[in-house]
Amino acid sequence: MSVNSALAIGFLTLGEHSELGLFGGYLVLNVAGRPLEFHCTAPVKANRAQEILYGNTLRPYLYGEQIGQTLIKKAKANVGVVLTDVEHALSARPHIELPLAIVAADAASLSGPRLLPMKLGPHHLAVDVNYSADKAAINDRLSNLLDQLDLLEPFTRIREALEEAQKSARAQAA
Amino acid sequence: MTFSWSTTGTLSIASMDAALSVDTFPTGFQSALGRPPKIEIESLPLEAPVIKAVTLRIPRVVPKIISFTFPEAPTWGQPKAPVPPKPPTLSAGFVESPAETASATPAEGDAPKPEPRKLTRIKPPGDIIKLEDRLYYVLQPPLETLVRSDSLQFPFEPFPYQFAGVAFLYPRYAAILADEMGLGKTMQSITAVRMLVRSGEIRSCLLVCPKPLVTNWKREFSLWAPEIPVTIIEGDQARRRWQWTEANTPVRIANYELLMRDRDLLERSADGKPGLHFDLVMLDEAQRIKNINNTTSEIVRGISRSRQWALTGTPIENSPDDLVGIFEFLSPGYLRTGMTAKQMGELAGDYILRRTKEMVLTDMPPKLFRDAEIELSPQQQATYEMAENEGVMHLNEMGEQITIQHVFELVLRLKQICNFDPLTGASSKLERLVADMEEIAASGKKAIVFSQWVHALHKMMPALERFGPLQYHGQIPSAKRDPILKEFKENPKRHMILMSYGAGSVGLNLQFCEYVFLFDRWWNPAIEDQAINRAHRIGAKGAVTVTRMLAMGTIEERINQVLEHKRDIFNTVMEQTGAPGSLGLSQADIFGLFNLRTPKGPIKAAA
Repeated sequence: MSVNSALAIGFLTLGEHSELGLFGGYLVLNVAGRPLEFHCTAPVKANRAQEILYGNTLRPYLYGEQIGQTLIKKAKANVGVVLTDVEHALSARPHIELPLAIVAADAASLSGPRLLPMKLGPHHLAVDVNYSADKAAINDRLSNLLDQLDLLEPFTRIREALEEAQKSARAQAA
Repeated sequence: MTFSWSTTGTLSIASMDAALSVDTFPTGFQSALGRPPKIEIESLPLEAPVIKAVTLRIPRVVPKIISFTFPEAPTWGQPKAPVPPKPPTLSAGFVESPAETASATPAEGDAPKPEPRKLTRIKPPGDIIKLEDRLYYVLQPPLETLVRSDSLQFPFEPFPYQFAGVAFLYPRYAAILADEMGLGKTMQSITAVRMLVRSGEIRSCLLVCPKPLVTNWKREFSLWAPEIPVTIIEGDQARRRWQWTEANTPVRIANYELLMRDRDLLERSADGKPGLHFDLVMLDEAQRIKNINNTTSEIVRGISRSRQWALTGTPIENSPDDLVGIFEFLSPGYLRTGMTAKQMGELAGDYILRRTKEMVLTDMPPKLFRDAEIELSPQQQATYEMAENEGVMHLNEMGEQITIQHVFELVLRLKQICNFDPLTGASSKLERLVADMEEIAASGKKAIVFSQWVHALHKMMPALERFGPLQYHGQIPSAKRDPILKEFKENPKRHMILMSYGAGSVGLNLQFCEYVFLFDRWWNPAIEDQAINRAHRIGAKGAVTVTRMLAMGTIEERINQVLEHKRDIFNTVMEQTGAPGSLGLSQADIFGLFNLRTPKGPIKAAA
């Protein structure tokens, strides 16, 4: 059994619903891509005071500090790397002990000033500039799994799961 | 006072009087200089408005989290070293498509393979209600990912529609996989079983199939799920009892006939002792249980089980009520006889997956039909006409006593005459077959000939001797059947195999044949389709030419007209509602062949 056999990978994404607010989903997969844990939030909506006082920093606060870190800390599996497809979610990094990176389909999407891009096989990733050491950690933990892992695909699963959860909530409310 | 240094280093100090004389003049102002200033203090109030501070609390609210944990099955293999891309392969069941082959080859600099364009996801069926259960399926990886990660290894890259079939079966507790013959129902169901076993969701699976197909299933399991142990239920009673109760294998294969003999083991006994339980019972050729009153149907319905799947290319053979029979196994009471086709289609839609070759295999070699309209020889024609005239006259004379059995017997008699003249043994069909075979054999091709009667196959043999014919039918012992098929496939001098519809219409892979002859017609086009699809399967070498022999001006021509009409209706119903219509000849159809009157009044031929 390889060193990575017990390693799990966390996938974090968030989506906004025009009426209900923000939803976060965190999927923990084993290295074969099979689900171990799934955590999702009830809808989160910023209040008026938060909107005024956080200003431009509201989204990083909600995505990273409030939702992201809460979800990531909920996992029981031995997660080695957390990946997200939402840049604001990188704001969770100061609050967690795990390397965190954003994944995108192309390099052009990762050109923000806060981002430190990296390439891992065919995948385009970036870490927070303040956590440049994450690059090495991510490379170390994921590089030998790239043949079997598509780093973007799991986010589709999370979004479908969030839809299922919302449908279920609506059905219960009806 | 002044200081100065001399050149000799002596410091000299000179002094002088600093008291200068000052003259004053009386101006009256000087006295004011000596007077102390008068200071007056004035107090001013410093009253500023009080500023009120408003405190806005921004508490860090922890969002409500809903968590789900899924069991990690240890039997799902961890990824291994990257597997080199497999070369494109043509095989009995799977063809690696050029597009997928291209995508499987990494471009320079991009080590991992790009994802195939279409990913097949598992979707929970409508009857799974609990959110946790639904999420378990929603969150599973695409099947293509499992293959790529080496969690599941396949000898060949499956087609996308086959992945879709696996994704359909895997989450379902009740399902009918009703793909047209030749699309790989076997592989799809084995893969779904494999995934369930590997994920720990099932530990025991019973596959029931017709006896001639047992070895085929075993072979397919070893090909598509080599790591899953399989037990064939066979042998004497003591051995079978051990196999049923003690053998520690996740998959058991039994034939329908055996169920009857081992019924006491399978069902709950009269004294309440529970029978065997299976996590999954899968029926191949499930049309065998369409009649809910037959014993086979009763036995399979009595087996304790958690999941149940039915595999059949013809869920409806004669009437939509056939589907009711299968559903009595899947979900008793869900469908009822007398429902309209539309109602059935709507209710059963989530349980049935049916694809035809036309739907999924756009690059499949074509299936070419040609009706060989055969004129009987004058002598054979005379024999036929005499038999029909006498037969019809006899039926009319029976009046109210006439039954479907009487008509049926006449039809069979006439069809046999269309094959061979009973007086002389002459056969216009055989002459045509020999003529066609000359060309087929000369070009090194192979053909299958189907007939309803084994004795008709025997009669053909002498005239076909030079084409190296083999026979495969119910009179051939089971042990000899596989060697016959092997001989037919591998010996280039064996250009044809003669088969009965009963033995040769299901489960055989003969896609190396490019010609199929229907020497006589079966009652039901679904059975004919099954027979034809022995050759017209995935991996077929080229176009399959199907020659349907029709003796013109006889009962065969009339049967053909009715069946063609029914085939049209079937296609229409399936397209619109997903529920098949009636395909075979009904009682009214059979009476109508001779424009006979029944006790209930005149019966018109179906039109």
